[in-house]
Amino acid sequence: MQIVWGNKKHTKEGKDIKMETKDLLDYFSEDLFISQMKASTKDASLDELASLFVKSKIIRKKSIVLEMLQKRETLGSTGIGKGVAIPHGRTTAAMDVKIAFGKSEQGMDFDSIDNKPVNLVFMVLAPPHDENNRYLPILGKLVEVLSGVKNRNKLKKVETFDEFIQVFNGVD
Amino acid sequence: MLKHLELLVALQDLDVMITDIDEVKQIGFKVGGKEKLKEARSQLAEKLSKPLLYNYENLRKRYKRAIIPVKDDICLGCFMRIPTSLITRGRSDQDVINCEGCGRVLYWYD
Ligand SMILES: [Zn+2]
Repeated sequence: MQIVWGNKKHTKEGKDIKMETKDLLDYFSEDLFISQMKASTKDASLDELASLFVKSKIIRKKSIVLEMLQKRETLGSTGIGKGVAIPHGRTTAAMDVKIAFGKSEQGMDFDSIDNKPVNLVFMVLAPPHDENNRYLPILGKLVEVLSGVKNRNKLKKVETFDEFIQVFNGVD
Repeated sequence: MLKHLELLVALQDLDVMITDIDEVKQIGFKVGGKEKLKEARSQLAEKLSKPLLYNYENLRKRYKRAIIPVKDDICLGCFMRIPTSLITRGRSDQDVINCEGCGRVLYWYD
């Protein structure tokens, strides 16, 4: 199975939105960050990260979002290889575009395309129609940033949210 | 067991996923056939009562979204204030409530 990295055309209606790596910083927040995930399975990790969205009041209820994320996984794992997973989706239950991050030291089975355990999980949730059409460019940018081995290695070492932010500030 | 409103939300989320899937694939995700999603959609639609489904499909034709967020008790589709009598019911997800202004199904965020 070939892994296709990188973001190609990713906007609707021909609108080209240029997304820089540092633009991703707008969508992270400290309450959507876990340096040591408890989850050891894919389902548990979806649950753990979705819980952060509830806690930070981005969504009111987890069940609706988990339903959507699990449906998405049935189409093909969002474990894109090299220890990275980016579960994602638009949901009526989300008000804003936000990204949660969780790191798992031991790694977990995510049915990834390379069958390797996943250590870095980025969960991207967006409303059905975000006004600025940011959702797909964000996904593309994340895939691009995480295709770099240096970035992945740095992320595997982060312990605090500040360190995490630095990775995205400092990428070339 | 999902309530009616949750089923509607799940349906709208699926419809959005069907629309997005080709672009998500372009980004580099491994995505299987759309048919699977369409099948899941019909299964979900079957769980809804006929009038609710009919209402949803009609709203979808008229607006981008059939289900619209409510924030600070205001419909973000038409900016009408929701009557107090409907707010508690709406927030509990117990009933499917249509906006008296624009007719869209209301979903409370807070
Ligand atoms: Zn309205």
